[in-house]
Amino acid sequence: MIRFSNVDKWYDREHHVLKNINLKVNVGEVVVVCGPSGSGKSTLIRTINQLEPVERGEIWVDEVQVNNPRTNINRIREEVGFVFQHFNLYPHLSVLDNITLAPIKVKKLAPAVARERALELLNRVGLAHKRDAYPANLSGGQQQRVAIARGLAMQPKVMLFDEPTSALDPEMIGEVLQVMQDLAKSGMTMMVVTHEMGFAREVADRVIFLDHGEILEDTQPEWFFTRPQHERSRQFLRQVLAPMHG
Amino acid sequence: MNYNWDWSVFFKSTGIGSEIYLDWFIAGLGWTIALSLSAWVIALLLGTVLGVMRTLPGRFAARAATVYVELFRNVPLLVQLFIWYFIVPDWLPEKIELWFKQDLHPATSAFISVTVCLGLFTAARVCEQVRTGIQALPRGQSMAAYALGLRLPQVYRKVLLPQAFRIIIPPLTSEFLNVFKNSSVASLIGLMELLAQTKQTAEFTANLFEAFTLATVIYFVLNMGLMLVMRTVEKRVRVPGLIALGGK
Repeated sequence: MIRFSNVDKWYDREHHVLKNINLKVNVGEVVVVCGPSGSGKSTLIRTINQLEPVERGEIWVDEVQVNNPRTNINRIREEVGFVFQHFNLYPHLSVLDNITLAPIKVKKLAPAVARERALELLNRVGLAHKRDAYPANLSGGQQQRVAIARGLAMQPKVMLFDEPTSALDPEMIGEVLQVMQDLAKSGMTMMVVTHEMGFAREVADRVIFLDHGEILEDTQPEWFFTRPQHERSRQFLRQVLAPMHG
Repeated sequence: MNYNWDWSVFFKSTGIGSEIYLDWFIAGLGWTIALSLSAWVIALLLGTVLGVMRTLPGRFAARAATVYVELFRNVPLLVQLFIWYFIVPDWLPEKIELWFKQDLHPATSAFISVTVCLGLFTAARVCEQVRTGIQALPRGQSMAAYALGLRLPQVYRKVLLPQAFRIIIPPLTSEFLNVFKNSSVASLIGLMELLAQTKQTAEFTANLFEAFTLATVIYFVLNMGLMLVMRTVEKRVRVPGLIALGGK
């Protein structure tokens, strides 16, 4: 489904943010990407829909090379859902219009059909009663659930999550993770950048640990949590799992 | 100052048919409004296009718009008007030049010159407002739109511009009012708009103070009215949280 081969990326030609990335995500897999801040994990998933360009290597989504100049990147983006840390809902549109905008404009869906589909999705994330609200009137957790519904409305083949719970108050993290877990159960291919180790342990098929732009671990969650291979991943785990962050 | 105000002057006959002086002011106001609204349409359309150009990733479009803005912002309005009225027609193909100078009614050719002049002048200022509005939006807005597969024109039309315009309604309102005030330069090329009619009344009646007082009141009421209209528009299109988001 997603394949990186020998991918390198630099910022301003000197800061090497992704170093020789090789990885594969298979259909139906849930892959959690973690690592200390500044490790390049957000950059990594943003290269998949080319919100960030790469300087070297190849990235493939479903047998199409996304970083080939001849590829129409919009076609890829239609099939790759993306959920942002700060939700990025459109504040001037109602919840329903946020969800139907892209299906109507990009997929040329009839407004009535798009609306119906959006309502189904809102039901799925438990927010059907908020369809006419504006984003500013929703809590962070609700906004993020709408953002997930907005991504799903394009019927993507894969969903990417860029720290979806990092901007949320603690009491709202659960509701968003629950939606994501349900999505994983439904068989969606997912790549999730997160610090939520509980989610990684329970939902992920694989955990990738990134540090300084390098993949240090790419393994099953049990192995990652019980027998991390690198000193740096051990250190990271000690920090995120320690109850007092001591 | 010992002056005998005589407000009845506006109801005296001008000596032309059954016309009274107040009719001149009404006709002048008509020209002022027609002129300003036409110029504003040009300014808003062109200014939006230029403002968008200044935020596009491509360097050429951004630079072209910048050159436009600097050119039209840094030359006095009156100089621009004289160029449009006295010089530009000479550069036109001969047929159009003759048509413009001879066939058209003098009021019409003056009207066209001022409308174009004021429209293009104000477009430079609208451009800067639109650019500021777009740049005030969080980068996540365009990223989210692109991530969903929206094409560049759709991103601007559906996501960026509707928000940018809501943010810039207050400065845009003052540009709108400026058009009405600036339209008075038209009196210098003989278009009988409000200021020209005022001057003419003053000359005909020698009631200089009354004439300019009335003109002042008309301009003031007109602009206050427009401002109130724009306030209503602003309230009507307000959405919760948008202004607060602007700074993020």
